[in-house]
Amino acid sequence: MKLELGYVHIRDIQFASESKVENGVLHINKDAVKKLILEDETIESVDLEIAKPGQSIRILPVKDVIEPRVKAEGRGGMFPGMIAKVDTVGSGKTNVLKGSAVVTTGRIVAFQEGIIDMAGPGAEYTPFSQLNHLVVVCEPVEGLKQHEHEKAVRMAGLKTAAYLGQLAKDIVPDEVHTYETFGVKEGLEKMPGLPRVAYVQMLQSQGLMHDTYVYGVDAKKTLSTMICPTETMDGAIVSGNCVSACDKNTTYHHQNNPVIEDLFAQHGKTLNFVGMVITNENVYLADKQRSSDWTAKLCRFLDLDGAVVSQEGFGNPDTDLIMNCKKIEEEGVKTVIITDEYAGQDGRSQSLADADPKADAVVTGGNANMVIHLPKMDKVIGYAETANTIAGGHAGSLNSDGSIDAELQVITGSTNELGFGRLSAR
Amino acid sequence: MRDFIIVTNNRQVSDRYERIYPVEYYEVTYMQTLLLVRDRVHLGHALLTHPLAGSIKPNETPFKSVMISRSKGETDPGSVQLIEESIETYNKFKNKKFPNMSLRMRDDYAQIDLSLLENALGSAVEK
Repeated sequence: MKLELGYVHIRDIQFASESKVENGVLHINKDAVKKLILEDETIESVDLEIAKPGQSIRILPVKDVIEPRVKAEGRGGMFPGMIAKVDTVGSGKTNVLKGSAVVTTGRIVAFQEGIIDMAGPGAEYTPFSQLNHLVVVCEPVEGLKQHEHEKAVRMAGLKTAAYLGQLAKDIVPDEVHTYETFGVKEGLEKMPGLPRVAYVQMLQSQGLMHDTYVYGVDAKKTLSTMICPTETMDGAIVSGNCVSACDKNTTYHHQNNPVIEDLFAQHGKTLNFVGMVITNENVYLADKQRSSDWTAKLCRFLDLDGAVVSQEGFGNPDTDLIMNCKKIEEEGVKTVIITDEYAGQDGRSQSLADADPKADAVVTGGNANMVIHLPKMDKVIGYAETANTIAGGHAGSLNSDGSIDAELQVITGSTNELGFGRLSAR
Repeated sequence: MRDFIIVTNNRQVSDRYERIYPVEYYEVTYMQTLLLVRDRVHLGHALLTHPLAGSIKPNETPFKSVMISRSKGETDPGSVQLIEESIETYNKFKNKKFPNMSLRMRDDYAQIDLSLLENALGSAVEK
């Protein structure tokens, strides 16, 4: 599949009487977006706010972050099976409003997850402090159950991102990036002698607030399978994962997967980026067995020399990660695994809940237990009072001066397990 | 007959399932639930779900539900390793984060635990 990804650079965002993109500025008609979101009758009211890099703004609790994109030419539409109808995506031309994002917030459950600080030390820990955000604050109808509330907020975010993406449909992009993968035979002919490498992405799939959707299918219900990396760039995988802010993959992460980006950079040069395997992280142990067996089988079937494996989440996904690693290695395929760590506040405890000698090439996104201090911000968008029940914080996390003492895990994307983070040993 | 038992400290789980499936409800802490499961594993029950289901950290949620086999056999080394590692992981998260949580918050944590179990049951129950 071949996809041309066109970046329309966005350097500013503002509310206006007409939604449009002009000279790098994203203008948004508030009423149009509200009307779109309120088509969902389970949403009582919606507020829209803007947050820009460098502003003294704290957004919480963050549910999802989504990048506005649009299919400019070719098959399918954004978020197939969720917003656009089911149709294979990942080819043709897609335009991206680069530098912007939609952020959803929602008090879906009483414990809260996800902070994005747009300035100050907190901003250093998340890539999302660098974007121009439209923040969607939804209030559900009275008595709405948690799973319906989660769905409403999820769909509101995707709809809004698709609506904004549409504004870029006919714009000539500022820069174009081309990505192409080949069938097995063509790949071998074009890249003889290059090591065959695939990316195995593990998707969170445990239940309420812990889900991922592939072409609209709940990842819990899937068998390990293959997907072309460019399909992810068109929103084929979206997040329903609202827990563990530091290492959950937002939809933005799925759209901008850095493992895919880096493998493509080496494609045809130092390796043959054969494709992608996606697998899940179910709670039932027999499901873990089945999924990891299947993943290893696919790696063997593709005659891989190496596989990069990324996980999502904490605790029981560590077991899936090690199972995948071991079984792929046992098929004669070398692995590198990407994870984050819960090594205790002093960094001295075992980082993962599981381990194996075969997992000898590990990249870490950082220690989520690290303690940080977030100074007061001038403005809070979302639900300010939830700062005292932040997951990763503790009762009393919110100080009387508005600052927050908590663990790094409170910050959205801070120890991301795709490597889409700012922590580095360099 | 279903070859599983749900061991839980979550009242919502026992309320939902005790009339349909084998449920053992104990009004104990998260850690005590893990220890009860460990005891059963050493007696020959196999683990059917991962004791650390969910990304909510052990020192945040008070609720834990685990499925084990109803039948007993030789002690399963995989299950022993898994439950012991889970207890070790729990011990990394030392202090209770929200000791005086509101009823609403407790209810939400209970709902998440229930959902995780519900989905595991979806895989467990004969097709």
